[in-house]
Amino acid sequence: MKCDQARLLMMGYLDKELRDEEVKALEEHLKTCASCRREWESFQKLKQETSQMKFKPIPEMFWDDYWQNVYNRMERGISWILISVGAILLLAYAAYDLFETFFLNPQEPLVEKIGLGLLLLGLIILLISVIREKMMVRRVDKYRRVLR
Amino acid sequence: MRFSVVKGYVAVKAEISDKEAIEACLRGDKEMYRHIVEKYKVRAYYLALMFTKNHEDALDLSQEAFYRAYRSLKDYDPSRPFYSWFYRILKNLCINFVNQHKRFLRMDDYTEATVPDLGERPDQLFEQNERTKLLWQGLNALNEKDREIILMKDFNDFSYQEMADVLNIPIGSVMSRLYYARKRLLKILQNFKGEI
Repeated sequence: MKCDQARLLMMGYLDKELRDEEVKALEEHLKTCASCRREWESFQKLKQETSQMKFKPIPEMFWDDYWQNVYNRMERGISWILISVGAILLLAYAAYDLFETFFLNPQEPLVEKIGLGLLLLGLIILLISVIREKMMVRRVDKYRRVLR
Repeated sequence: MRFSVVKGYVAVKAEISDKEAIEACLRGDKEMYRHIVEKYKVRAYYLALMFTKNHEDALDLSQEAFYRAYRSLKDYDPSRPFYSWFYRILKNLCINFVNQHKRFLRMDDYTEATVPDLGERPDQLFEQNERTKLLWQGLNALNEKDREIILMKDFNDFSYQEMADVLNIPIGSVMSRLYYARKRLLKILQNFKGEI
């Protein structure tokens, strides 16, 4: 085994990711190569140091509630979808009703129809513009691809 | 029964495989997602903590990531490790959180975070002792790429397969990157105190 290969296998050995035959081959190499052995001993010490670094513990109660909090979000997520679908249906019906009872009614003054029509058109354009902006930000967001 | 431990903390049982649990979730059995959450919550929390340095934010972001992963389960490829897929979702959330927070707090010194920056106070994350302090300084002195791969392996308990999947490189390259990152860390530590 060459030293280059042994150096990579050292990582696998350190992290317990090697197959038995690879461990054997590396151990054989370490017996005969003093420089790799020195390196191996340094890595072992480093691994020991990192494994002794302990994260600060958090109280058990936070782990106990953890799943419940995730579950609540999952349930609320479905609620939001239902609320959104309901709101869209109601808005669509209201728009249809407004069109039929107000815009198509010849008794309503034309000025009011034009005023309300322009107001609604402005709101729709504004809404489309905001949605388009959000989509463009998403397209150029450098972290967008991080989420698969 | 199998146990998974991250840095000596809470052991969780995992009798059902990720694949089985996810398939059940996709069939509508929400309770089965609990197996996934219980199995990975410690790793998720400490990963978020490395970004946020704050307990409440780490809890909130890790739970939000589990919720978003649940919502996107149909996009998950079961032939790949769950945690490496989930890691991307959580990391994305953490990056956005940290960058928004930085922008809010320090307009004059805004740099975008893509890898956990261990910060100025090791006591925010780790139980404090002299060794921790030195190692923490060494990790901070590494470049982002080196720090990320060491944090993944030694502080977030990634397997080589998970790392290969996240970094989109072969396992041989994972070993190679780890080798050079650890080598550089050793050199930094040796400069600090002569010999580790």
